[in-house]
Amino acid sequence: MNAADRWLELAVGPFRASWRAATVWSVVFVLMIVGTVAFWPAFRDSDALQDTMELVPAGILQAFGLEDLVSPAGYLKGGLYDVVIPLMFAAAGVVFAASATASEEDAGRLELWLTQPVGRTAVLAGRIAAVMGWLVVLAVVTLLSQLASDAAFDLQVSNARIVATICLCTLLGVLYAGVAVAVAGITGRPGPVLAIGLGAALVGYLVAGLFPLSDVLDSWAWISPWDWALAGEPLWEPTDAWRYLALGGVSAAMLAVGLVAFARRDVRSA
Amino acid sequence: MSEPTASPAAIRISGLVKDYGRVRALAGIDLEVRRGEVFGFLGPNGAGKTTTIRCLLDLIRPTAGRLEVLGLDPRRQGPELRARLAYVPGELRLPERGTVAQLAASIGRVRGTLDPDRRDALAARLDLDLGRRLRDLSSGNRRKVALLLAFLADAELLVLDEPTNGLDPLMQHEFLGLVREARDRGTTVFLSSHVLSEVQRAADRVAVLRKGKIVAIGTVDELRGRARQRVEAWFAGDPPAAELERLPGLEAVTIDGRRLWATVSGPVQPLVETLGRHPVVSLVVEEPDLEEAFLDIYAGRP
Repeated sequence: MNAADRWLELAVGPFRASWRAATVWSVVFVLMIVGTVAFWPAFRDSDALQDTMELVPAGILQAFGLEDLVSPAGYLKGGLYDVVIPLMFAAAGVVFAASATASEEDAGRLELWLTQPVGRTAVLAGRIAAVMGWLVVLAVVTLLSQLASDAAFDLQVSNARIVATICLCTLLGVLYAGVAVAVAGITGRPGPVLAIGLGAALVGYLVAGLFPLSDVLDSWAWISPWDWALAGEPLWEPTDAWRYLALGGVSAAMLAVGLVAFARRDVRSA
Repeated sequence: MSEPTASPAAIRISGLVKDYGRVRALAGIDLEVRRGEVFGFLGPNGAGKTTTIRCLLDLIRPTAGRLEVLGLDPRRQGPELRARLAYVPGELRLPERGTVAQLAASIGRVRGTLDPDRRDALAARLDLDLGRRLRDLSSGNRRKVALLLAFLADAELLVLDEPTNGLDPLMQHEFLGLVREARDRGTTVFLSSHVLSEVQRAADRVAVLRKGKIVAIGTVDELRGRARQRVEAWFAGDPPAAELERLPGLEAVTIDGRRLWATVSGPVQPLVETLGRHPVVSLVVEEPDLEEAFLDIYAGRP
């Protein structure tokens, strides 16, 4: 029995505790991806649908990432990677983080671990590792179902661009999980964690999606992490390293806030 | 792990204050628990027992005051300290998944100790099925899980918060046996309870807590002598009212026909002698609730 076993146990327990939720998320990701890509052949070959899209105002198309639905990358962006998949990663990150931290503290179940010979930071770090582990699992599930669907329905986008896009969406999930952990570290209450975490994800999406439609606000779209993740059009263009670094850096800062705040306050009793 | 210090005290608390916003939960507690003793921490619900214990475990941070447990500072040396103590909470909230055995294994890995033979023997003593699913456990069985985990830890200090809540009398007896064996091995036991009889059966010394302050501290016998008991007697004829009212320590005397109620504090011998001179049909002496038992102490009377 050594220290590594001890730290591993603090992560493996919370990881196992989330497997049902993670299975449900995985199924939803697979269904969304397969369900969307399955319509690609019909969409590609239908002139009527494409004519209809031309009637939609340009601003609406831009806000929902639907400007270029006729190309394979444009179809994937409009159907999945402009809103749906990043939003699902953000929501999964917040929900996993809330249930591994503040919900457990609120229910009094964290106390069993906090009264063992480990520091508070180690207990929370184990839970953060579990959340990150599940986000990586969801990323792999997303990648595999995307590649399999692309092959099955003859949708041709470079694998490298797909991998980069899914990495960026996963990092967006990590960032909002970080926001949730920060709020959990400060408050220990699941309500604020979910409200602030999901609220921040939604605001981030609206800023990145709507600000570019306004001449005044367009120059401020960069404040949204969604802009860092997706404004570089990762399905077409190689992604600049700073986009990964910005998402990773802010995530790390948020997690650090959560760890420091949790170590400094009273643990809530059930 | 550092060497145990030479300090003779297992727990040393001085000037401990804990505020929750504007509510003062602990109003300056001073306490010393000696190594190797079973120390009772007695008080009604809401007196501050659990708050004190949560400070000792570094689950919450004192507003003011100093704490030293096994010679260590709970805030700065928490993991080191918790390696040497085990805790039974007032109500153990268990993970939702897994079995008792899986939880014991998991805690064992975190603590770095896992002895399946000891685990099985303890579970048998507590009549606890290790294969039971955690979410199906009754409150009594959850309490047994808490005791199993605490006594498995083989700690120098056991911190027990209302440990027999929800246990049947047979298990309470088993629990007292475990406490005595632990003490015989040199373990210090800090036992919080709102039940006087539980503490008096197990503890060497007792502190009585009320409204965040310690109002009495002493051996069980000393405190027992200061506690009130409720007396009810049926006489064959009229009760000797005048004689009874003169007895020291007898208060709240009520006589209804051939029946007498009163409370007695201090030694009961004068009362028993008086009753012995009269035809008493039945006699009940019972322990009142804690608040009533320590009314004098709580009121600050000598």
